[in-house]
Amino acid sequence: MHAVRGAALAAAVAIASAAVAAQDRPSQSPADWQRKHELGLTHRTAGDLYLALKNAAGGGRQNPPFSQLPDWSGLWTAGSGGVFFGRGPTGVSPRLTAPAAAALKEGRQLAAQGISYDENLSECGPPGFPRWLVVPFLREFIVRPEQTWLSSETVNNVRRIYTDGRDHLKPDDAFPLYYGDSIGFWDGQKLVIHTNSLMDRSMGRGQPRQSERMETVEIWEKIESGTIVADVWIYDPAIFVEPWYLQRHYTQVSNADKSLRMNYWHCGENPNNEVFKTPEGNTQYRDFTFTGGGDRAKEQGR
Amino acid sequence: MTRVLRMAVVSAVAFAGALSLAYAHHSGTMFDDKKEVTVEGVVKEFQYTNPHSWLLVDVTNADGSVTTWGFEAEGPTTLMQMKIRRSDFAPGTKVTMTGHPMRDGRPAAAWTKAVRADGVEFYPRGRTPRVE
Repeated sequence: MHAVRGAALAAAVAIASAAVAAQDRPSQSPADWQRKHELGLTHRTAGDLYLALKNAAGGGRQNPPFSQLPDWSGLWTAGSGGVFFGRGPTGVSPRLTAPAAAALKEGRQLAAQGISYDENLSECGPPGFPRWLVVPFLREFIVRPEQTWLSSETVNNVRRIYTDGRDHLKPDDAFPLYYGDSIGFWDGQKLVIHTNSLMDRSMGRGQPRQSERMETVEIWEKIESGTIVADVWIYDPAIFVEPWYLQRHYTQVSNADKSLRMNYWHCGENPNNEVFKTPEGNTQYRDFTFTGGGDRAKEQGR
Repeated sequence: MTRVLRMAVVSAVAFAGALSLAYAHHSGTMFDDKKEVTVEGVVKEFQYTNPHSWLLVDVTNADGSVTTWGFEAEGPTTLMQMKIRRSDFAPGTKVTMTGHPMRDGRPAAAWTKAVRADGVEFYPRGRTPRVE
């Protein structure tokens, strides 16, 4: 096989990938996106929006019996949907603060130069929330009356959504958490979530830092067999001049023979997976075991 | 018989970024997604691990020496969804491996395709781009 054949293969894979991506994307209509975006704009804080949704649901349900809860069993994975710093279906982009816009621009410039490092995941740190919404690989959603666990295989995380009527910790007692503190209620088959107490950290490679003032509201619903949709409103005055709304989709993974399982992640399990940050700020593998490496103290950047 | 088959610069038009690899654990910048390498060899070990798996393949060079190449893919649950089981690449299996090579010249690549001697093809990154 020569280079031309290789190029043909690449093109075929690229086309096939694009086709699958299109199938994977339940579309949100521009009108629906606009309506939900405006819902965020009409509430000054995430807490206000959450309270409004709770009032609209007649107070919502806490501790509903199992029989009234939806079936979210099985294995799931992140499909596509909205992004934190891109356009929505109407073409509207998030209004960013100056520091956030500058950070995003710098990240994109570095990426264009092929320079990228992940301050969180490369060392098996948690993706954190809201990045959790977009990371790949398997997920499980465990629904119980008093709490729902939203878990992801990527760095072994579990978001606990308390639906037993408890409130957040008092502001003076609250402290920053990778996944924040999440409380919620049920509105029919929809799980409504309010999250605060988030951590000041990067939202992802080349993206701005979120702040401890970030709060979010989510509405999770299984809209059809094999598809769960999450509407997400993000409030963070350090990043967004006005709240940003996006919709994420989660697709059930086929597992007919029950062979798939959520597996533990540990970046040190296989030494060939260890990476480091180069002096230029890029990502590089350490010495490989299969190349006879091992004298890692001599590696560049250490 | 094992050997390096080719190292080719693939058409920039064909790629145009569409095949850029998405990684969860780390950026893929150490791999050159505008190049492809294809080698023929024998499986030495299949490291079926999170967050990445490595298929190690012994390749015999023109001078008779042997180089172990590492082909990197995602972890077991992704590979299983791509119909790649650990048992598919037992030590000693003859394979033709294709991937995007390391920019620094080390014998490693982002695994994109494998063809066993029995003709069965495997695509660890399949046709499903990952979202991050």
